[in-house]
Amino acid sequence: MRMRIRGRCWLVGDNVPTDAIVRSHLITRPMDEIRRHVLEGLNPRFPLEVRTDDVLVAGRHFGQSSGRAIAVRALKATGVGCVVAESFARTFYRNAFEMGLPILECPGITGRVSEGDVLTVDLEEGLVIDETTGSQLQAAPIPPFLRRMLEAGGIIPIARQLAEGTDR
Amino acid sequence: MNLVEKILARASGRARVTPGEVVVADVDRILLHDLSCYLTARVFEEEVRQPVCHPDRVVVVFDHHFSPPTEEQARMLQENRAWARRHGFHLFDCGSGNIHHVALHAGFIRPGTVVVGSDSHTPVHGTLGCFATGLGNYSHAALGLPFGKAWFRVPELVRIELEGTTGLGVTPRDVALFLTGQIGEGGMVYRALEFAGPYLEGLEVFDRWLFPLITVDVGAKSGHVQPDERTLSFLAELTGERPEAVRGDGDDVAEVRGWTVDGLEPQVACPPTVGNVHPVTESAGVPIQWAELGGHGGGRLQDIRLAARVLRGRRVHPQVRFNVVPSSRWVFTQALREGLVEDLHRAGATWFPPSTGSNQAINMGALAADETMVSTHARNFPGRNGGGRMYLASALTVAASAVAGCLADPREFVR
Repeated sequence: MRMRIRGRCWLVGDNVPTDAIVRSHLITRPMDEIRRHVLEGLNPRFPLEVRTDDVLVAGRHFGQSSGRAIAVRALKATGVGCVVAESFARTFYRNAFEMGLPILECPGITGRVSEGDVLTVDLEEGLVIDETTGSQLQAAPIPPFLRRMLEAGGIIPIARQLAEGTDR
Repeated sequence: MNLVEKILARASGRARVTPGEVVVADVDRILLHDLSCYLTARVFEEEVRQPVCHPDRVVVVFDHHFSPPTEEQARMLQENRAWARRHGFHLFDCGSGNIHHVALHAGFIRPGTVVVGSDSHTPVHGTLGCFATGLGNYSHAALGLPFGKAWFRVPELVRIELEGTTGLGVTPRDVALFLTGQIGEGGMVYRALEFAGPYLEGLEVFDRWLFPLITVDVGAKSGHVQPDERTLSFLAELTGERPEAVRGDGDDVAEVRGWTVDGLEPQVACPPTVGNVHPVTESAGVPIQWAELGGHGGGRLQDIRLAARVLRGRRVHPQVRFNVVPSSRWVFTQALREGLVEDLHRAGATWFPPSTGSNQAINMGALAADETMVSTHARNFPGRNGGGRMYLASALTVAASAVAGCLADPREFVR
């Protein structure tokens, strides 16, 4: 897992539900179709223009409502390199680490970065650097257990390590 | 230690745990519904492929389909059945009822245990004094099924104390909606909630149920009621066996917040979110085309009794379709015995099989863009049931609105 991500900033607000990341009627569609509709109700340009390693910046309680893993898979499929938010809904938080989508909790980020800014996210140091404005924000540290999961690429590799006894 | 800490310490084999640390704990019960079962099975069989550690702890309930409307959904349920049977899980097929009601009625939920599930309303089992929370399918597939474990960040506990007496036409559901609005979506992110106080303790178990149910909507990890005499006698009657109760020590609480229910009006969560809660009087008169009793929080016997109070001697408005979805077969049996099935049927309501009803419009309840529904469901986010707008309310308000043809104050119907 790369611990440094650089890309353009996309913004969404507070309390974004998983229903808005992937609408319910799309859940059973192929991922190639789903990814072209991610967050379209909130930011119609996002699914059309998002590029690999772009950074999605959200407000409080991102990914609330149903804990559907497809919301994380769909975001990964768009190429988003990292999601930074004031806070996450806890099911989204779990799913992101378990499926290897880098996320950072960064209280105070709302209003400090603008859409289109170039951001560098340093997962190791928990830093969000806005290269467009030169400002820098300190995120909450990732707990060691979850850092290990992130480095392994998710919870499945952790399960394999447990099964093979290579964990001990 | 508080109740959550005691349960997590026991389950992770530690003397004590403290908020913020991550523990790996033994899981006593894994609940999967038809949608999450399918997704979990795919991850498990394709990426994990280990033996299942404790198949008897896994409960599968088909609750989003009382009957599959398409061949694709029928195939999905067949795969779920085969998977559940192959591993020896408990399986409750279409028509059994809502996952949480079925698990409770079958005696699978015990105080002091760790209950997990993919459904985000799994915290409702905290009603009986469990640590219960929703996890993603990857948690179950990678740690739950093969090792009987899950990882948890130990939450801080917030105690919510409720006191006072509600007036005529105001139900526990109105109080729960009011609290969601007061605390706000995401107002309790990562925290555990303890529902307490004389109002809460005076409620029967299935009315207490409505409070741990809201924990996900305010962002909390779990919500519980400390088991008391009422909890233990409820379980003794249900299972024929009186369980040991684990209780927290009462001191390790990060915050205490209190509300009175005195003078509260009937409440409605308005579109577009569960936290957009207002007195029904502010929305009275909004035309509706659909009304429903059902979902995780509705379709209880209590809801059906409340609706019957409004509907006896009245008719559902000709512009409204009123769907009634019992939360379990037990509820339907009781409703039959009490004559409620006939009462609602005669008034023009339509009975549906026990299930989760129109949640996500998997097998019923899709809305056209210009339609509005009022229901006892737990969610009203746009896109969840197709187009349309969704209001969430008590069974009394739902029934009163079904009669009026528009959102209505139930107090005018239960004088």
